[in-house]
Amino acid sequence: MDTHKKIREHISAFADGASAAADVDLALAALQGDDGRQTWALYHHIGDVLRVDPGPPLSPGFAASLAARVAAEPLPGKRTVNAEAPAVGVVPVASA
Amino acid sequence: MTNERESDQVLVARVQAGERQAFDLLVAKYQRRLMRLVGRLVHDQAEAEDVVQETFIKAFRALRHFRGDSAFYTWLYRIGINTAKNFLVTQGRRAPTSTEADAERAEGFEDADNLRDINTPESVMASKQIAYTVNAAMEALPLELRTAIVLREIEGLSYEEISEVMACPIGTVRSRIFRAREVIADKLRPLLDMPDNKRK
Repeated sequence: MDTHKKIREHISAFADGASAAADVDLALAALQGDDGRQTWALYHHIGDVLRVDPGPPLSPGFAASLAARVAAEPLPGKRTVNAEAPAVGVVPVASA
Repeated sequence: MTNERESDQVLVARVQAGERQAFDLLVAKYQRRLMRLVGRLVHDQAEAEDVVQETFIKAFRALRHFRGDSAFYTWLYRIGINTAKNFLVTQGRRAPTSTEADAERAEGFEDADNLRDINTPESVMASKQIAYTVNAAMEALPLELRTAIVLREIEGLSYEEISEVMACPIGTVRSRIFRAREVIADKLRPLLDMPDNKRK
């Protein structure tokens, strides 16, 4: 990874409040420059735009339909000593 | 006073104790958030709704195993994401590759030229164009990058929570979010008349 890309990754993590302690100074130093400030503004702009979209609505019958299906299920019962595993048939998300 | 995680855990315990209606309360609370997340992964609304419904059913069935070591919503999101992924696989679809995302990015530059001609960045038109560009770039992202940035920017999850949901290390979360931002920023930068500082 080239230096500028690495610096932008520090800015990205810092924007999320997720910098490692040792990287905070690197991010702050990068934000002193025009490029860093522009990257910071751009990343926040993207987040602001994404949050405006409310996403697809649920159809009016969704809740009733789901409630009927849940009602037909046996009660899950008390927890077991097993580790909390996702539901059967769930596969791990592959690594990028 | 309880926080959100604790009050969810109270409801989970009620379900585990046999109070079915407590699950309805969790559904009412999370159905729209789950739809917002799944809708970013499965684009057809009816199909996304099916995935959301299947997610809740799987969660209900698996609730006996839930101990509260993680927050209920991170557990639920994980089931939702994996259900969506399984759905896409069974439908014979796949998330776009990085190469396809790059091709999409290149196409976006034509729109950018048009926007610069308008020269009124405050206008509604410009805002719509920006929203369109950002969302189109999102749609073209590989599934893992799209999931990571949705969980962060839209759902507001921490990197630690995202690592739980996506079952990957925090470093991978950090990298995926950054890479997603890079792709979207590349499309957005020309619309905002920003120079491309990536090439410096």
